[in-house]
Amino acid sequence: MNLTADKPIAIPVPLRPGALPLARGFVTIVVSTLALLVVCALVTPSAIAPGALAGSLPFAAVLAIVGLAQMLVVQQGGFDLSVAGGVSLAVVIATHVPAGENAALPGAILMALGCALAAGVLNGILVGVLRLNAIVATIGMNALIYGGVFAVSGGVPRTTTSLLAAIAGGETFGIANAVWFALAILIVVCFVLKKTVIGRRFEAIGANPRAARAVGLRVRLHQTMAYVCAQILYCIAGLLIAGITREPTAFQGDPLLLPSVAVVVLGGTSLLGGRGFPISTAIAAFFLNQLSQFALAIGVPYSAQTIIQAFALGLGIAVYSLRRPRRVTKGAEPIKPFEKQPDTEENKNEAIVP
Amino acid sequence: MKRLFRSGVMALTAAAVALAFSSTARAEVPSWCGPKKATLALLDGFGGNSWRLVTAASGKQEASLCPSITRFEYADGQGNTQKAISDIKSMAARGIDALVVFGDAGPAVLPALTEVYKAGKVVVPYRVDVGGKAGRNYTVFIGSSFKNDGENWGKWIKAILPNGGNLLFLSGPAGNSQGLDELAGLKSVLDDKYKFLNPAPFDVTNWDPSLTQQVLTAEIAKNPKIDVIVSDFGPSLVGALPVFKKFNRSIPALATSDGNSLGCFWIDNHKENPDFKLFTVATGNDNVRLAIDWAVAEVTGGKLPSEQIFKAPVFENSVTGQPHPVQCRRDLPGAIYLSAKLSPEEQAKAVNK
Repeated sequence: MNLTADKPIAIPVPLRPGALPLARGFVTIVVSTLALLVVCALVTPSAIAPGALAGSLPFAAVLAIVGLAQMLVVQQGGFDLSVAGGVSLAVVIATHVPAGENAALPGAILMALGCALAAGVLNGILVGVLRLNAIVATIGMNALIYGGVFAVSGGVPRTTTSLLAAIAGGETFGIANAVWFALAILIVVCFVLKKTVIGRRFEAIGANPRAARAVGLRVRLHQTMAYVCAQILYCIAGLLIAGITREPTAFQGDPLLLPSVAVVVLGGTSLLGGRGFPISTAIAAFFLNQLSQFALAIGVPYSAQTIIQAFALGLGIAVYSLRRPRRVTKGAEPIKPFEKQPDTEENKNEAIVP
Repeated sequence: MKRLFRSGVMALTAAAVALAFSSTARAEVPSWCGPKKATLALLDGFGGNSWRLVTAASGKQEASLCPSITRFEYADGQGNTQKAISDIKSMAARGIDALVVFGDAGPAVLPALTEVYKAGKVVVPYRVDVGGKAGRNYTVFIGSSFKNDGENWGKWIKAILPNGGNLLFLSGPAGNSQGLDELAGLKSVLDDKYKFLNPAPFDVTNWDPSLTQQVLTAEIAKNPKIDVIVSDFGPSLVGALPVFKKFNRSIPALATSDGNSLGCFWIDNHKENPDFKLFTVATGNDNVRLAIDWAVAEVTGGKLPSEQIFKAPVFENSVTGQPHPVQCRRDLPGAIYLSAKLSPEEQAKAVNK
């Protein structure tokens, strides 16, 4: 949903108490995922074998974290193309700085987080304060971060430390630790976004920055914070990759750029900004990962694998585009966005239909 | 301060030059090194990984064996075709006599090579086919026989599985010619008793460890019996092989190219995985040496080498120990190649700079 300040819009049916329909994006992605799992079970049972899930879930977890990060930026109407650099920098710092010494790992993680913070603040200032185009600013930042990647690594991969491999690549209660990390991050993002004042303001600013400024919200600060949080999450994703793959390359973030945007869109967050759907985004990450496992498992040539993935992705996104006409209450007064203030009870609820 | 720094650098350079000269003076001058003084440049299309760093250091060492080479230059195209082309032209404009070129961009660099060759320079592209013809577009092309690698793997597979078996072949990006040549080599040795489980022609991994891990996960889940994995980039499998443990299965036999991290991985894991046998061919860093030999011979008037195609030798065989048992140097980085002529310590220096 994207509310614009100058165009009054018709509101959907007012919600009866206790009858909160689920968000459309959520329903779509859950149905798609279940359908995919059924297809997997029928056509390629190996794609959902316990071992296959154990092997592929850590990658879904990493994609979920990167997707949540991208979602925060997209909620502010931006795009963060410095995903690749952010993830790769964390990977090379976590593998090169300790150089195999477990004792040096905490220092390396702090260093990686520090770099992420700096990159995020710089991104935030460029986009939030100096009002540069987000795509241009983050492409520039990506190049800058890659300078750091080369400075640290020289482009050379290095074997990860055994401690990091145990933390990020290990399992707890039979489930990969990376999945636990992703779940924890998902809970934090959901809670902050949906249940705290900061989070509510953040969404309101994304939906309509001009209206938000008019009511005195600190638009620039919140927009800057989106980029900072995103970089911190990229960094965590990078640290996980460094542990999951024993000898990560220096460019491990590159293949994550497009999927990070894809899961945000599949999750139902509008590219124009506004409400975010963290749970749907995380499910979308699982969906996308399972989709590639499915394509691999049916054992068709690579060209057909690519086509299957593109087709499923296109179908997922088309579901949002082919909207039925919205039900409008007869005689309902159109409201202006100004009337939709962030701190009302109604707005705090995620389950409103957009 | 600045002056102090500069004089320090000069002293260091002088010392390095003196050292280089003293070592070359001691070594015997190879037959491909002629008497005519000349300058030489090594141009990489992309220099940003450990294999390329070791290869560039190997090329530099090979050139230093010939005292007639008075200057050695190196340029890294950074994966950018425009830069690679401008590197080729600018090296020629700066008066370099011989150029050894890793033409990653393929035929896209051919016009630049042709132009430089027609201007009278010695031009030796190697390893990646750039199209064109020797004597018309460049002096000579020094290829690498990936088919030979495939044949070596095939012979080993035949030795350990005389009654046939299930194979999984992983290569890099879709349609890369290296993978196709290797497959041709494999198929020339192995008959129908050996079944390829992967979709034809090979499983696409982009040589990326995380994609390799995902591809391998899907293949293991799908195929209850995998006897041999064939991969043309062994080190990218180090992260993926532990996936077998998640399925409670032994890592199968592996035919691939060498890398220090892979050797150490085998030593750590072969006891728990009874089927884990390892066979490697050299990763081929020394391909550059043959190209340098040719360029130097052409430009200095030395004796031309007899080979035009580099054949990577067999390196490790965990079954017979011939020509080498599995090698591991734990004190050095995982991303070096013990099969290369360049000493492991020098490689470590090259990748750790």
